Amino acid sequence: MSVYLLQTINGIGIGMLYFVLAVGLSIVFGLLRFVNFAHGAFYLLGAYLGFQLLAWGLDFGIALFVAPLIAGALGWATERLLLHRLYAKAHEFHILVTVGLALVIQEAVIVFWGPLGNTVQPPEWLQGVVIWGQFVYPKYRLFVIAFTAVLAGLLWWLLEGTRLGSIVRAGSESTEMVSLLGIDVFRIFGIVFGLGAATAALAGVLALPIRGAEPFMGVEALAVAFVIVVIGGLGSFGGALVGGLMIGVMQSLMSTLWPPGASLMIYITMAAVLLLRPHGLLGRPA
Amino acid sequence: MNRKTTLLLALVLVLMLPLALRSGSLASEVLIYALAALACNLLLGYTGLLSFGQGIFFGLGSYTVALLLTRLALPTPLALAGAIAVGAAGAALVGAMAIRQRGAYFVMLTLAAAQMFYFIAYTATGLTGGDNGLLDIPRPASMDTPWKYYAFVAVIFMVVFWLLLRVTDSLFGRTLLAIRDNEARATALGYDIKRFKLQVFVISGAITGLAGGLHAMMTGIAPLSNMEYHTSEMILVITVIGGTGNLLASVLGAAFYILLADWLSTLWPRWLLLLGVLLIVVSTGMQRGLWGLCEAVVSRAARLIRRRPAGTAIDADGGST
Repeated sequence: MSVYLLQTINGIGIGMLYFVLAVGLSIVFGLLRFVNFAHGAFYLLGAYLGFQLLAWGLDFGIALFVAPLIAGALGWATERLLLHRLYAKAHEFHILVTVGLALVIQEAVIVFWGPLGNTVQPPEWLQGVVIWGQFVYPKYRLFVIAFTAVLAGLLWWLLEGTRLGSIVRAGSESTEMVSLLGIDVFRIFGIVFGLGAATAALAGVLALPIRGAEPFMGVEALAVAFVIVVIGGLGSFGGALVGGLMIGVMQSLMSTLWPPGASLMIYITMAAVLLLRPHGLLGRPA
Repeated sequence: MNRKTTLLLALVLVLMLPLALRSGSLASEVLIYALAALACNLLLGYTGLLSFGQGIFFGLGSYTVALLLTRLALPTPLALAGAIAVGAAGAALVGAMAIRQRGAYFVMLTLAAAQMFYFIAYTATGLTGGDNGLLDIPRPASMDTPWKYYAFVAVIFMVVFWLLLRVTDSLFGRTLLAIRDNEARATALGYDIKRFKLQVFVISGAITGLAGGLHAMMTGIAPLSNMEYHTSEMILVITVIGGTGNLLASVLGAAFYILLADWLSTLWPRWLLLLGVLLIVVSTGMQRGLWGLCEAVVSRAARLIRRRPAGTAIDADGGST
């Protein structure tokens, strides 16, 4: 099988992980109007919570569900207790609070789990490869593609097909208008921030058997999420999907051509997209 | 506070550091990070630009000085001039990309640019030494001891501080404040705000490059970590904790951060956790930073001493901006 085809499929898997990582950042920005710098830290926390749950002998499926739930609850509490008091203050301070939060989470991870990285094997039922004629591919990576595709469908339904979703979308257009219609939109803020944290944590657990867990990966995840939403357009669900897949595939192809440049390729792609389309692929000019 | 008092206070601080500290390197480090924080403050406090990319220029300055001193054996002033030029050029490049966007996009693009430069430095091992960095950066015999080097840094610091005071007091500086306070109004008044932003970004990059170069000369190495996100974050945190909008606040922030780091990092390696908590407290409760806290304390003390309610007493929000 062609190595480029293989790397493209790898790229789609990584790209779907990137989508899960970035979509929460994008939705949170759409409604709350500030960039959450702790997003990468929630990804980090998710990975380590997953690692801990697996170390306790729990099933991967349980870790995939429980770790995001804990991170989501923490995100919800953060919004209720901290961010909520700040919306009247200058914009920079929202960002700086989340920068502080990211530092606290990262250092707390080191306190609890130590400064060294950890690797995790995929669960037994996902180990090995799928052989399908000429096509040979790791089971876990196929699982990631299938799982994230279902997740993307669920999130899309949540945003487009439910009452919560319509409040979120309307709130992204105009918070005042939604409030005037008698909806307590600020209550939704906490739920949305929690959802953003949970999706980041889920990406962390999913990436665990591929990338492992190490305490400083939050920053890189944050930067990748930024690149994706800059490419796709902030606040856009489709933008996060397109941006994530694009970055994933470009990075994977580059890792065959010139491995040291694979991470650099993410940022070169971003610079190229911004030169051609300053407002991102799906973004609208402000 | 007028320009002369501010300059005098800065001079007092620079002269007091050798009396208060035992280590010349620590004192130099305070002034070097004060320079970087001043440059960051110029963006955040005076123009309203939140930059997560200051580490780029710091790292560029370090590498430039290292290369010019070790490979070309240039004299120190020329090497530092090189660091200023490369810092400015880097800022022009990053600024040209980031300033086209506003608000959240600008902030994210500066961080993405920081990661991009990090990976460039990481892969360009021939130029930067990659993970090992550049080693054995020489210092001229006239500044071979830490305290002699401190004197050199102190002179440069005072010159830059004086220049920045002039810049912030000038028409250019006032225009930056107008942009910070209301971008739409400044545009409507006919100012080319993108040009102003780019200019201030380049000034900031030049000063940060100088700070990075001085840091490389102090430690004798130009490590990859000088270009890491951590450096960008550190410069920003120093600026915010000190307080934005006042140049002396950045010096106070740098002294606080460096001395706290020196003390706490030996007690508890994870002291950054406390710093994160402090950053949250400053951002939620005391947004004018340590400088604002000092101002409030001084004005309250002044009121207590006077006892009588003076008609023109300075309130906590008064003083210079």
